[in-house]
Amino acid sequence: MPDIPVRNPIAVLREEFDDWAVLFNPDTADAFGINPTGVVIWKEIDGRRTLTDIASAAADRFSEVPDTITEDVAAFLGKLAEKGFIGQGVGP
Amino acid sequence: MSIQVMRTPREVEVQITASCNLRCRYCSFFDHPDPEYRDLPKEEWLRFFDELGGLGVMKVILTGGEPFIRDDLPLLIDGIVRNRMRFSILSNGALIRDETAGYLAATGRCDVVQVSVDGSGPPTHDVFRGAGSFEGAVRGLRTLMRHGVPVTARVTVHRGNVGDLPATVRLLLKDLGLPSIGVNAAGTLGSCQRNGDQVLMTPSQRQEAMETLLRLADSYPGRIQASAGPLADGKIWRHMEEARRGGDAPFPNGGRLTGCGCPSSKIAVRSDGVVVPCTQLPHLEAGRINRDSLGGLWSESPVLEGLRARVSVPLRDFPYCESCSYVDYCTGNCPAMAFAELGRVDHPSPDACLRRFLAGGGAVP
Repeated sequence: MPDIPVRNPIAVLREEFDDWAVLFNPDTADAFGINPTGVVIWKEIDGRRTLTDIASAAADRFSEVPDTITEDVAAFLGKLAEKGFIGQGVGP
Repeated sequence: MSIQVMRTPREVEVQITASCNLRCRYCSFFDHPDPEYRDLPKEEWLRFFDELGGLGVMKVILTGGEPFIRDDLPLLIDGIVRNRMRFSILSNGALIRDETAGYLAATGRCDVVQVSVDGSGPPTHDVFRGAGSFEGAVRGLRTLMRHGVPVTARVTVHRGNVGDLPATVRLLLKDLGLPSIGVNAAGTLGSCQRNGDQVLMTPSQRQEAMETLLRLADSYPGRIQASAGPLADGKIWRHMEEARRGGDAPFPNGGRLTGCGCPSSKIAVRSDGVVVPCTQLPHLEAGRINRDSLGGLWSESPVLEGLRARVSVPLRDFPYCESCSYVDYCTGNCPAMAFAELGRVDHPSPDACLRRFLAGGGAVP
């Protein structure tokens, strides 16, 4: 899982319904359904924020936050990386 | 009762041209009174594709007319690719050249090119499409396959090709080796409204087509698709009959006009730039591209809202359906077919009515 994740620039976020969105890679036609928390995390990925920054931003957005938020965000980012929606930043 | 509507359309069907090299007698595109049959300049389409990209649309389906008739087709596809979308093309195949096929393959974004093939040879294919069209369709398919473009074929069943269905399916799935094909039937839309007497299947042919296609679907598992026409009717009618005999609970989508789910995820644009819910309903004008915001039309157009509201209409409100023993398993089917036959979309389609089919001497296959 990348410490400073970077979005795959080709990926498209489609917020289809109030409680559901899709990340879509038009090059591969892969689509990955994500929930509102996933959408918040996706929007925080800007190539500068670290895992800790992103977990902290996500925690600020919701009222009931589990103690495992950092691990949960890390696991989610790991899935995004596995599916090619994010990569690792390579320095300044 | 309402349908869950996506925030923006997932797919947009675009009639990229009003020109075609053929004049098929059952064409659903030509001979509607409402559209202006003219082409928009590429700049208009490219601007529109930019808007679609901003809305997160995933796929554009290019139809016509015949899309390959446009010399600037690659430039239009560039606009789709640039906006992070994928595309499909519906074609008669005859104008597909090596250069264009190579270009489609190189984009890596083409889901499929669908070529219409109605017979195993010229006698059945050309009868309503015109001399030379079979050769053009097969040549087009072969050209696409040679370049590695994903392909499928659409067989439109009509009065002249029912007996040829087994050979047609064999040609497409076995001889040419297509992964899968789709099947539908000529319906009373567009040009077919004036040629129906020559083109539409007789009731006995419809029965034969249904039984033949169900057999073929068993012989080629998962490789023959249908969302309308004899194969789709045969499958759903079998299911409805089993449910009726078993006294099953109503189908989740049964008993109301739920037959069309398209307005929750798709929209279409005519060749003259007018936005409509579906290319088969070209008279339902919601707005115009590059003048109206597509996102705004999607969420606020009374035309779309009206079509979406169909799902709340109970079939028992219609006198013919009120006493029907299939009513709880029926969806009322396609609003475009209902409009073509009755002049209204908020009505079940008589063409897909099982009770009517049985009353006319038909049998559940």
